[in-house]
Amino acid sequence: MIENKGFLVGIEKRKKRYNLILCIILLMLLSLICINMTLGTNATYPLSDVFKVLMGQDGIKGAYIIKNLRLPRTIAAVFCGIAFGVAGNTFQTLLRNPLASPDIIGVSTGSTVAAVYGILYLHASNGAVSVMALISGLAAAGAIYWIATKGGYSGARLILTGIGAQAFFTALINWMVLKGAEYDVPSAMRWMTGNLNDIKSDGLPLLIFVVIIITGGIMFMGNILKGLELGDAYATVLGINVNLSRIIIIILAVVLIAFATSVTGPISSIAFLSGPIATRICGKRQTNTVSAGLVGACIVLAADFVGQNLLPTRYPVGVITGILGAPYLLYLLININKGEKV
Amino acid sequence: MSENILRAEQIHAGYSDKEILHGVDITIPQNKISVILGSNGSGKSTMLKTFCRLLCPAEGQVTLDGKNISSINSKTLAKTIGLLPQNSIAPEGIKVADLVARGRFPYRKFMTPLSKHDYEAISEAMCFMGINDLADASIDELSGGQRQRVFIALSLAQQTDILFLDEPTTFLDIAYQVEILDLLKELNQKRGTTIVMVLHDINLSSRYADYIFAMKKGKLICQGTPAEIITSENIKEIYGLDSIVIEDPISCSPFIIPDSRCY
Repeated sequence: MIENKGFLVGIEKRKKRYNLILCIILLMLLSLICINMTLGTNATYPLSDVFKVLMGQDGIKGAYIIKNLRLPRTIAAVFCGIAFGVAGNTFQTLLRNPLASPDIIGVSTGSTVAAVYGILYLHASNGAVSVMALISGLAAAGAIYWIATKGGYSGARLILTGIGAQAFFTALINWMVLKGAEYDVPSAMRWMTGNLNDIKSDGLPLLIFVVIIITGGIMFMGNILKGLELGDAYATVLGINVNLSRIIIIILAVVLIAFATSVTGPISSIAFLSGPIATRICGKRQTNTVSAGLVGACIVLAADFVGQNLLPTRYPVGVITGILGAPYLLYLLININKGEKV
Repeated sequence: MSENILRAEQIHAGYSDKEILHGVDITIPQNKISVILGSNGSGKSTMLKTFCRLLCPAEGQVTLDGKNISSINSKTLAKTIGLLPQNSIAPEGIKVADLVARGRFPYRKFMTPLSKHDYEAISEAMCFMGINDLADASIDELSGGQRQRVFIALSLAQQTDILFLDEPTTFLDIAYQVEILDLLKELNQKRGTTIVMVLHDINLSSRYADYIFAMKKGKLICQGTPAEIITSENIKEIYGLDSIVIEDPISCSPFIIPDSRCY
């Protein structure tokens, strides 16, 4: 056991508190998973039936719906939620700015450009659209980073370049939608809002694998991220190779966001909201990678449940999360200078 | 045991196309407090950055015990050289003890909790800076002087033999300035930590420094003890300012009174 000088017990206390909060969020996530697996407008199945189906028992009523519709949908919601949450929180921590989320600085929109092009002009299959979205998201992030760091890196420049790129990509998308064939536009729009309707279970193992590996990688770099959060000068003097670490962390986060976007489309606001919510609940002792991921998964599941079951018509999950994001952005912009103390 | 002799040899350094340092040689006196003086734009902050490897010299080298610092493992170097940057940034809402703990980075292994040594170093650093009571306070609630003490504690937790400080008293009122400099003097006297800082205030430099380096236009123009350096002639040379020098009645060090056109 570590013997503490009295005044440092707070460090251990906050650590225990963080673990406790993680358990609570995890419980919440599990309940949301159960709710999404059992309840639905068409049919409600008892939890025991769901378990039996998942264990491979035959002849249960609703087995098809549970196995082929609800299970892939729920898995995609959980892992894309984690991916958006972790990636967003990583960007926000690294750039020390709550506005610096990948869906605000152009990465997700970069994915969308290629996806919309694929849907409208190439009539590509879902799989092909995903691949295009992934590659284009990575390329967009690379281009933004390259433009922003020509002549010296600065976090503010990266954010502003990203916002500019975001505007450019949005213009491209609007232009394509205007010029596109009328009967294709709805499917492009559906992709752009972010939805969990067209999830195919064959793509899920890869999603799970990528999310686990990359989230693990970002957790592994947690101490480095904590150093970088103190600014480049401190990070360097603490013995961190600033440029190398920063680029590795950015690549990890970008792959994560591009991958998740390629599966579900850009579910708005998850990347933007999860980090700040996790920080608000858990404090700033740690990088909050895990808590932001779990919060992201919870929001996606809850929003999807609301969109599917609680409203007069079914809405894609992105519409619901979009409604959550807007007021928070306003709140942030109004309060951004109030809390500042020199 | 290493001696920790830090030496800059013929340093030329600057930013992209503009060279700021034009061939500077400095050997940091061991276990002493050194102050780098100079007017705005004289290159003193650039010199500090070069010593701390924040800036790579275009020509020349910085050596620690004869070894070029760019060839030393960065975590090893981080256990010898610490820095308090001019603008310290803290993550919003972080608690003081958690922030100080981040100074332990060079000693920590990946994905392991703080060790007993880490806790000892953190508690020692915080006791030294007198911020025990603030351990669980949020950094945003602190006054400027308290914040600065927290950041110095972060550097102390790093347990380096050499500590650089880039204008540690800027933005602080006179009482806090004296308080911070007193703490640094004690740090130097009790632990023998070599301290190198950039200061703007000549009189405080004169009082607290064992050794002064004076820079002008990217060159080192004179060095020595305060008594040798703080003279009317040198002040005229360094700052282009007429002044008279008297004795500081508290510390018996030289004290300059600037001349004025209006009086």
